[in-house]
Amino acid sequence: MPLKHAKWITGIISLLLVFAIGLIGTLLPAFAYFPPLGEYDLSLSPWRDLFTQGEFYASLKLTLITGIAAPLLALWFALSLLAWGYQRPFFRKVEALLSPILAIPHAAIAIGLLFLLSPSGWLVRLFSPWLTGFDRPPNWITVQDPYGVSLILALVIKEMPYLLFVMLATMKSIKARESLQVGQALGYSRFTLWRKVLIPQLYPIIRLPIFIVIAFSLTVVDLALVIGPNTPSTLAVTLLRWFNDPDLSMRLMASAGAVTLMLVIVVVLAGWELSHLLFSRLTRAERSNGKRFGLTDSVLRLGVVLGLLALLNAFVALALLPIWSLTRRWRFPDALPSQWTWDNIERATPLLMELTSNTLTIALVATLMACAISLVMLETKRHNMTASNSSKPHVFDWLIYVPILLPQIGFLFGLHVLLIYLNLNGDLCAIIALHLMYVLPYVYLTLKGPYLAYEEEYLLQANRLNHRPWRNYVLVKIAMLKPAILTAFAIGFSVSIAQYLPTLIAGEGRYSTLTTEAVAQAASGDRKQVGSMAMLQAFFPIMVFWLAQFIPPRWTRWRLVLKNLFSRRNTECSV
Amino acid sequence: MLSVNAFSLTLDGKTLIKDLSFEIADGQVLSIMGPSGIGKSSLLHFLSGSLSPNLTTTGEAFLNNQALHTKSTQERKVGLLQQMPLLFPHMSIIENLLFAIPADIKKSARIDMAQNALEKLGIPDKANALPKDLSGGQQARAALLRTLLSQPDFLLLDEPFSKLDPALRRDVRTFVLSEIQKANIPALLVTHDPEDAKAMEGDCLELGVKSPFE
Repeated sequence: MPLKHAKWITGIISLLLVFAIGLIGTLLPAFAYFPPLGEYDLSLSPWRDLFTQGEFYASLKLTLITGIAAPLLALWFALSLLAWGYQRPFFRKVEALLSPILAIPHAAIAIGLLFLLSPSGWLVRLFSPWLTGFDRPPNWITVQDPYGVSLILALVIKEMPYLLFVMLATMKSIKARESLQVGQALGYSRFTLWRKVLIPQLYPIIRLPIFIVIAFSLTVVDLALVIGPNTPSTLAVTLLRWFNDPDLSMRLMASAGAVTLMLVIVVVLAGWELSHLLFSRLTRAERSNGKRFGLTDSVLRLGVVLGLLALLNAFVALALLPIWSLTRRWRFPDALPSQWTWDNIERATPLLMELTSNTLTIALVATLMACAISLVMLETKRHNMTASNSSKPHVFDWLIYVPILLPQIGFLFGLHVLLIYLNLNGDLCAIIALHLMYVLPYVYLTLKGPYLAYEEEYLLQANRLNHRPWRNYVLVKIAMLKPAILTAFAIGFSVSIAQYLPTLIAGEGRYSTLTTEAVAQAASGDRKQVGSMAMLQAFFPIMVFWLAQFIPPRWTRWRLVLKNLFSRRNTECSV
Repeated sequence: MLSVNAFSLTLDGKTLIKDLSFEIADGQVLSIMGPSGIGKSSLLHFLSGSLSPNLTTTGEAFLNNQALHTKSTQERKVGLLQQMPLLFPHMSIIENLLFAIPADIKKSARIDMAQNALEKLGIPDKANALPKDLSGGQQARAALLRTLLSQPDFLLLDEPFSKLDPALRRDVRTFVLSEIQKANIPALLVTHDPEDAKAMEGDCLELGVKSPFE
C-alpha cells in the first residue's frame, strides 16, 4: 500500500482506541462523579454502598470460583489432550474439528448444554425410564446450579478448544517432534516427556492466550445468563442487573463494582503467575531426577478422559439445536421427538429473518472495517520495520489487547455514557463501532503473521513491470494474501456474531440479533424457537469458516474457467 | 549504452567498492563476480533505485548519456531478474505476460505480443496454465520474457540461474543471451558462477580480488 502518512494514521487510530477505552466512563462514576445524573461531587459513597451489599460478596465468590476453576480445568484438559494425541493420525481429525467449534458463538453452546443437561434434557431422557425409573423430569438442579458447576462446564467447553488451537500453533517453534524423539529414545514415557520437557517450554508462549481465557471466565455475561447460577449470580451478571436498574443511582454502585471486577482480574492474573512460579520452582528438581515414568502421568491421563468427555458434550449439545427446532412433539422420557415438523421454523421466519439481517449487517460491516484497518496498520508496521530494520512492537500491538482483557461490563457502560453524549445511543453505527472494537484485535492478530511474512519482492517486481502501485497492491499483494485475509475475516465474523453485551448496550434493545434474542429467550422454555435461533447463530460462522477454507485454493482455477467461458479471445488481465 | 562512473559503496564506515567504472553497450552483457557480501547486489540496487538506507554510495550512472541516479525507480524503466522467477502464482501464464505489457498498447496487439512470447517459450498451449504447472527452466524463461515485455531500457540480472539444476542452466543461459541481443538493451549480470559469465560472451569484472594484507 503506497502510504504517505503512515505514522499519522497509526497515531490517530491509536488515539481513537484510547478514547474508546471508556475507562473514564467507569472510573469517575465509581467515585460518584456522573454529570448525566447531576452528580458532581467526588465521594466514596458508591463504594460504601457496594461493600454493604450482601449480594456483592456472594457474587464475587461465585465469580472467583468459576473464573479460576474454568481456566484451570480447560488448561489441564487441553494439555492432556495435546500430550496424548499429538502426532497421532486420529488427532488430525480432532484438529480439523477445532476451528468450527471455535467459530460457534458461546451462547449457542450454552443453549445446547441447557438442552442436554437440564432435568428434562436429553441426558436424563436417554436413561429414562429404563434406568432411572423417571417418567417425569426429576426435581434436580443440574443446570444453573448455585455452585456454578454447569457454568464452569460451559466455559471449559468453550476455552479448551481455543487453548488447544493456540498450543498446536506453537508446536513447531518449541520443536516438539524432535524433543519427543530424543526423549523417547532415552526411554521416557510420552506423558512424562510432556510434563518434564514440553509443557515448561510451552507455557511462556501461551501465557497471553491463558490470560485472555482467565479474563473471559471472570467477566463473561451471556454464558452466565444462560447457564450460570442466579440469585446470586456471578458478579458480571449482578453488575448488569444493577446497571439496568430503574433506580439510576444504582449505576454508581455498579460502576464501583465494575472497577472491583477489573481489580479482581489483575489480582487473579497476578496470583496465577505467582502460583505458576511457585509450581515450577517446586517441580524443577523433579524434572531432572531421571525417572522415566511417574504417578503424575495419571493426572494427564485423567485429563484426557475428561477432556474427551467435554468435547463429546459439546458435539451432542450442538446436535440437539437442530433437533429441537424441527420438533413438533417430544414428550419427556422419549429419546427422540415423536413427531417432526418445519412449522416452528416457518412460524418464526419473520422474526428469524429480521434477527438474521441485523446480525449479518453488523457482522459484515464490522468485520470488513476491521480487515481494512488491520491492512492499514500492518502495512504501516511493515513500512516501519523495513525503514528502521527493527521489529520492535508498536504501541498499537499492546493497545489492541486492551478491549479483550478488560471486562466488557463496566467498560461498555462507560462507553454507553459517551454514546449518549454523542447522541449515538441506540444507533446501528454505535453497535457496529462497538463490535469493531472486539473484532479488530482478532482480525489483526490473525492477519499479522501471514501479512508480515509476505514475500514483498512480488509487489516490487510488479511495480517494476508496470508502475501502478495501488492497482498492484490489490491485484498482486492482496490477491496473493487471499487465504489469510479470508481466514481473518471468518474469525472476525464469528467474533461479531457471538457478541452479546456490545449489541445490547449500544443498541439499547432497539436492534436485536440472533445472539441477544437467543440469550433473552433461553430461559423462556420455548425450546423450539430458542433452538432455531441458536442453530442459525451457529450456522453462519461455521458456513463462513468453511467457505474461507474452501474458496481460496479453488479461486484462481474457477476464475480462469469462467473467463475462458465468456470470452475465447479476451484475455485481459484481471484477478 | 549504460555507463557507471566512480561508483563507491560504504557500509557502516567500511568501504566495500571504490571507484568502480564501466560501460555496457546495447545488446551486451557485463558480468560482475566476487565473493558474497562484497556489494554486488548493492550495485544492482543502486542502479534500480532501491538501495537500503544504511548503505552510502557515491558515483553516477548514465543511460544513453542521461543521468540515471537522479531519477526515481519508476522513471528509470529498469528490468530486474532475480533468483526467484517471481511469477504471480494466482495469475495464468498469459496473464503474467500481459501484466508487464504497457497499457497504452492496443489490446489486440498486447494479446499478440503475449502469444508470441508463449511461442518463444515453446508452450503456446499453456496460456491458461498456472506458474506452478511449469518446470523450473520454463519459469525462469517466462520470467525473463515477462521482464522484457515491460520494455525496459536496461536489464539487471541478479544470479538468475543459481536455482536451476546444471543441465537446464545451459539452455536458459543461451535463451537469455539471445533475448537480450534481440531486445538490444544493455544488461548487467551478477553471479558466483564463472560459467555464467563465460556464457554471456561479454566482459567480466571481478570485485574484491585484493591481496589479504592490504
